[in-house]
Amino acid sequence: MGLLVLALLVALAPVYWMVTISLKTEIDQFARPPKWFTFTPTLEHYYDAFVTRSFSEYLLTSAIVAVVSTACALVIGTLAAYALTRFRLPYNLDRKLSLWILSTRMFPAIVTAVPLFLMMRDLRLVNTKAALIIVYTGFNLPFVVWMMRGFFAEVPRDLEEAALVDGDSRLGALVRVVLPLVTPGLAATAVFCLIVCWNEFLFALVLTQTDAAMTLPVGIAGRVTQYEIKWGVMSAAGAVAMVPILVFALAMQKYLVRGLSLGAVKG
Amino acid sequence: MPIKFQNVSKLFGDLPVVDDLSLEIDDGEFVVLLGPSGCGKTTTLRMLAGLESVTSGDIFINNERLNDVPTQQRDLAMVFQSYALYPHMTIAENIAYPLRVRKLGQNERRNRVLRVAKLLEIEALLGRKPRHLSGGERQRVALARAIVREPRAYLMDEPLSNLDARLRVQMRGELKRLQHQLGTTTIYVTHDQAEAMTLASRVAVMKKGRLQQFDTPLNIYNQPANRFVAEFVGSPSMNFIEGRIEHGTFVSDVLKFPIDRADEEVSLGIRPEHVHVSTQSQDGGIPAQVYVTELMGNETFVFLSIGSQKLIARAAADFRADEESTVWVRIETAKAHFFLKRNPQITPI
Repeated sequence: MGLLVLALLVALAPVYWMVTISLKTEIDQFARPPKWFTFTPTLEHYYDAFVTRSFSEYLLTSAIVAVVSTACALVIGTLAAYALTRFRLPYNLDRKLSLWILSTRMFPAIVTAVPLFLMMRDLRLVNTKAALIIVYTGFNLPFVVWMMRGFFAEVPRDLEEAALVDGDSRLGALVRVVLPLVTPGLAATAVFCLIVCWNEFLFALVLTQTDAAMTLPVGIAGRVTQYEIKWGVMSAAGAVAMVPILVFALAMQKYLVRGLSLGAVKG
Repeated sequence: MPIKFQNVSKLFGDLPVVDDLSLEIDDGEFVVLLGPSGCGKTTTLRMLAGLESVTSGDIFINNERLNDVPTQQRDLAMVFQSYALYPHMTIAENIAYPLRVRKLGQNERRNRVLRVAKLLEIEALLGRKPRHLSGGERQRVALARAIVREPRAYLMDEPLSNLDARLRVQMRGELKRLQHQLGTTTIYVTHDQAEAMTLASRVAVMKKGRLQQFDTPLNIYNQPANRFVAEFVGSPSMNFIEGRIEHGTFVSDVLKFPIDRADEEVSLGIRPEHVHVSTQSQDGGIPAQVYVTELMGNETFVFLSIGSQKLIARAAADFRADEESTVWVRIETAKAHFFLKRNPQITPI
């Protein structure tokens, strides 16, 4: 119990600090000793960030990129995972392919940053949302494939075979019989993909330089300038950035717990 | 509809699971594929369903070659050993599934589901999910899903093996009646010879991928084609006495009688009901030790030993004998089967 309180404190203290900073006037932000609880709240930084500056645009960009790339990764990855679990390819290719897919996550992301930038430049996609969507989809695919492979392996083959004999197509059996059974797994995978996309910083920094396709993490980091650090604006944007993931994770909580422990116990 | 297997083989890697199987099944027949586990009977069924490819040979239904027809277009219905009910659908949705994928109208679907539900007496379950059903109820739902459309044939893969003994016998009877009513060709896979004997119009006995005998249950029982069939069918199992035929006489350690056959090393097979025991000494009776007796209520199985030879006899319900006591055995030699020792595949004529 004591440990739990300690863990909660460690996890939540920075969040509390960020949220209070975002509500303090600049003078209060630097008060010594720090004003933990007693200060006059103000929304000026929120106004500054989302009305005066372009943070609402960054928010929208982040949302579009995260949702679209998660959706793409889920569709492609789920189909790939299904094929890799259910079809035996010659020369053990199904196993080798799976490992190869996983291996793309085994080197540091920075290694691919420059080549990706050059490719995107040649495709004239630098500073577009499309570039980020493509990169994030590729980044999340191995994760989706490996997560979903595990979930598909749990579904008894008999069920799909019954669906086939009953007259359904492979895709029909997948959509009508298999996918409903792996919904918890899908939900858990989706949450993780979204979080990864939402928080991604490196590729967003390399591939976007203008407001046209800047995501929230890059936008926030951009407030650290040569002359000043806009703590209030950054905190306000950070506080808002937390909300969608929090809401989504809470909505999916029921599935998350089941999804992550699916297969741990039979039945 | 008539189904034909023509020289069908299936290899898993280099291992032949089904080996040169030829089988002709008539329209409306109830054929049971019988054999121990690993004999290829389930693989045969799965090849017919299209869930397993055919390595060589051809499968026909109604003279249409099936080999390259995908499963969904074969228009067969299958009942799985695990029932394979869709866990996220209600019973009504489960039964309606084959109709839904055929894009039947909502009304037609509902009517048909109600009709089969009534036939199988599961109307009360329609709104429930499979996990709330007992084994027997699930079995009925699986059957209902198979018969809700009129397929060209029913395929059943050990459908009763997950039920308890009492329910199994009950469902066996219902299955037989149902098949009579529907008149649809049915292929049924089991390792349970009692199911095979009671259900089948013809039984195909398989061993290690090869067809041993394909005949009516009675002929399988009375005229087994080889020692394997003789041993596998019948409970308790047939007795075997090793011996030889010499100058028109069967000679073994325990038994000697004249028989009009060529000289040969043979095994004599005799069913327990053709071994008669008596506690009284009788003419021509062979003295034997009682090893153990099993009371079945309506009859008694007597396990005997004559020297090193073991025999099982089927006796009347009131037969009583103590262990190790001596009884007298008479073997109905006219009912004996003979199997060549050098080639137990063949019964000498």
